[in-house]
Amino acid sequence: MNISSVIVIPHPERIEAVRKQLATLPGVEVAAVSPEGKIIVTIESEGDRETIQMYESISLMDGVMSASMVYHQKENEPEVEISLAA
Amino acid sequence: MTEVKMTRRDFIKTNAVAAAAATAGMSVPGVALAQARGGDGVRWDKGVCRYCGTGCGVLVGTKEGKIVATQGDPDCPVNSGLNCVKGYFLAKIQYGQDRLTKPLLRMKDGKFDKNGEFTPISWDQAFDIMAVKVKATMKNPEQGPFGVSMFGSGQWTIWEGYAANKLMKAGFRSNSIDPNARHCMASAVFAFIRTFGADEPMGVYDDIEHADAFALWGSNMAEMHPILWSRITNRRLTAKHVKIHVLSTFGHRSCELADNELIFNPQSDLAIANYICNYIIQTGAVNKDFVAKNVTFHKGVTDIGYGLRPNHPLEQAAGNNGYPGADGKPKGNPNAFSPTTFDEYAKFVSEYTLDKAHQISGVPKDKLEALAKIYADPKTKVMSTWTMGMNQHTRGTWINNMLYNIHLLVGKISEPGNSPFSLTGQPSACGTAREVGTFAHRLPADMVIMNPAHREAAEKIWKVPAGTISDRVGYHAVLQSRMLKDGKIGFYWTSTTNNMQAGPNVNQEIYPGWRNPKAFVVVSDVYPTVSAMSADLILPCAMWMEKEGAFGNAERRGQFWRQQVKAPGECRSDLWQYIEFSKRFKVEEVWPADLIAKMPEVAGKTLYEVLYANGQVNMFPKEEAAKVNAHAWAGYTNEETEAFGYYVQKGLFEEYRNFGKGKAKDLGEFDHYHRVRGLRWPVVNGKETLWRYREGYDPYVKAGEGIKFYGNPDGKARIFSLPYQDPPEKPDNEYNLWLCTGRVLEHWHSGSMTRRVPELYKSFPDAVIWIHPKDAEKRGIKRNDIVKVATRRGEIELRAETKGRNKMPEGLVFVPFFDEHRLVNKLILDATCPISKETDYKKNACKVWKA
Repeated sequence: MNISSVIVIPHPERIEAVRKQLATLPGVEVAAVSPEGKIIVTIESEGDRETIQMYESISLMDGVMSASMVYHQKENEPEVEISLAA
Repeated sequence: MTEVKMTRRDFIKTNAVAAAAATAGMSVPGVALAQARGGDGVRWDKGVCRYCGTGCGVLVGTKEGKIVATQGDPDCPVNSGLNCVKGYFLAKIQYGQDRLTKPLLRMKDGKFDKNGEFTPISWDQAFDIMAVKVKATMKNPEQGPFGVSMFGSGQWTIWEGYAANKLMKAGFRSNSIDPNARHCMASAVFAFIRTFGADEPMGVYDDIEHADAFALWGSNMAEMHPILWSRITNRRLTAKHVKIHVLSTFGHRSCELADNELIFNPQSDLAIANYICNYIIQTGAVNKDFVAKNVTFHKGVTDIGYGLRPNHPLEQAAGNNGYPGADGKPKGNPNAFSPTTFDEYAKFVSEYTLDKAHQISGVPKDKLEALAKIYADPKTKVMSTWTMGMNQHTRGTWINNMLYNIHLLVGKISEPGNSPFSLTGQPSACGTAREVGTFAHRLPADMVIMNPAHREAAEKIWKVPAGTISDRVGYHAVLQSRMLKDGKIGFYWTSTTNNMQAGPNVNQEIYPGWRNPKAFVVVSDVYPTVSAMSADLILPCAMWMEKEGAFGNAERRGQFWRQQVKAPGECRSDLWQYIEFSKRFKVEEVWPADLIAKMPEVAGKTLYEVLYANGQVNMFPKEEAAKVNAHAWAGYTNEETEAFGYYVQKGLFEEYRNFGKGKAKDLGEFDHYHRVRGLRWPVVNGKETLWRYREGYDPYVKAGEGIKFYGNPDGKARIFSLPYQDPPEKPDNEYNLWLCTGRVLEHWHSGSMTRRVPELYKSFPDAVIWIHPKDAEKRGIKRNDIVKVATRRGEIELRAETKGRNKMPEGLVFVPFFDEHRLVNKLILDATCPISKETDYKKNACKVWKA
């Protein structure tokens, strides 16, 4: 499984519409929206190709001005539990 | 301390969101970077992206001798951790299946044969035949030293370009070395020199966060400079008053954010620029104090031709193209200009009224006026950006000059947010092609071979006899193709570029030249590109993280990286190739006796001893590599240091640094760059410079001077009177459409790297032709039909696209050039700006029909 995060900058007048549209995409979660409207989404997908296809469709979505990849990691055992000191 | 249980998936997601939040400058409650990286056997080091001129910092992860991961470098101020889609897959560019790993020579019956099959040979055998060909070329009266020619790259590392420049201009005494940057931003260079007397932008990327308005002049930053574009979109989002104006000959992704979209007829940018200057003057918006103190006025010669072959009717008619006339003397000089006054200039541009600009450009008047207003309004800080739309232009130097005219008239320059900013397309177009001076007329640090004092300075630094460097300008990129075809070049060595795909008029000029039996063509490359397959000898190269490197980006930022992995097979860096090859020549074989007599101590030496083992380049012993890089890597070394026995990169860079020291071209110390995320020159006392020419920012401007354009002897910048003129070819009844070429987001230039990244290849596999639905309909073409597109030079076949990211106006089609199976540059006329010699890839007349 691939997990990546993307910063999406919507057109200033279309922030809410873009946020809603992003939330409908399979494997995509809206993690945060800044007061100015910058949106952080995560993409979960099977492989690199699916990740890139999803990233491309976000980039080309109506109202999206820019989409930049930030983080990407492959994980073969996503359901394994780990313990963290908090 | 409590313990939290979570799945790996949630853990990774938290990390992913935290990284994005940090990058975006956001705080997301409950999310913090869960743990520092490590423990997975991946070693991380700082690097620089291999692609465009933005110069994003990337962190490079290496495991078991292979690059396994890259990510945007959060500590690099250029991109603050962001990556574009190409940068995202950087780790894969070195690992294409068809990587070249052995020297390959065309052979038949065990011997070189121009029509033979590529056969593996050793490096020794490769250098043997190359040395024979160089020596024969020099002795051939039809060819001579300038017949030894090199075509290099804005993707060369700084020391590769420097070593090559020295080998050619001092070693072989040939100025016929030119970079592919000639095709890319030579017009920007010539205009910088004409206007400011010094190359490269005065501003920096930080201007983006200070500007109130942006004007894109022939630049689709959303696709070609995505990270800079994300900075602009971020500015637009966080500062509500910011407006974006996009000038283009067709609608593209950058237009989607535009408050003012100006789609203009090809070439009419010249008229628009003059109209804006006229508007500024007519509305009383001239910054009189600034102009009086900092600007002089000049009139450029106009009858300059189009850089075509001298026998072309347009060149026969031109009076100032610099070509030999009937009497054998040059017909004027296209770069000439003479002083004029503000009043004369005002009168000159007064004919460029709103009506006239509208009539020539086809842009609605309200849009032209809205653009003019942002420049005229003293309260609006304007950043203008441009790339190939302005540079690849038969009047490319002019339009660059004219944009500076606008900024200078209102004094909007050299301060945060007021910035005419020429972007570059290659990672070291500035750092290597321009600063090292690998052009046919240049030496390092803005010096030129035509100037005796500059040649003397270079000869002193290089410790070669006075008179070593020729005073004659060498063959530039387009001229190299013509000289190959005409048999004047006997030895041609090209690297880190793909001219058989990227150069103009492939079928009529480039291919016949390379296959001319009078020429021996060597291509140093990493993949079997169109160019490599057209060569006589292919040399396999080390690339990117397989060598220690340095690039200089568009904002004067030099950035270094360490060699991370070994190259496969027998691949060697270009640096090793130039230095090792120089051992094949005794000075007696390449220099005349009278030159050697001026410096008897060089007698009997090889070019290697004279150029590289000269007491400077070889002054840092092998151990120095470990010492300099100890903060990041215990026991570090690299291939060239091991091969030659000294820290070659440091020796070359420290010698090179002497050229710009004290001349406002100061570079930092070698060691410094290995510790930091780049430095913007001039670097004085270890401190970088953000805004040049302005007191308080630029150490070369003294207290009380305010502004000083010190590149020119009088300390002033030049405004030029230059007119609108038609391009050499326009659509007619037969070839009835404009053809514009360019790029797409997923692929970088000729696609030799990006087409080998499966994800990028699949997302945009083949070039298409974008055409307006009505133009398609008129020709019986439906979306996705296979069509033919032809110019007077040739034809190609590809799929028609009427929708998608690019929106064509009627009368213009667009084809990207990344696709080696659809070589659009076969169709392109080799017409250039006569001053910069840069080809216009944007304005050819074509016809399109259903295949």
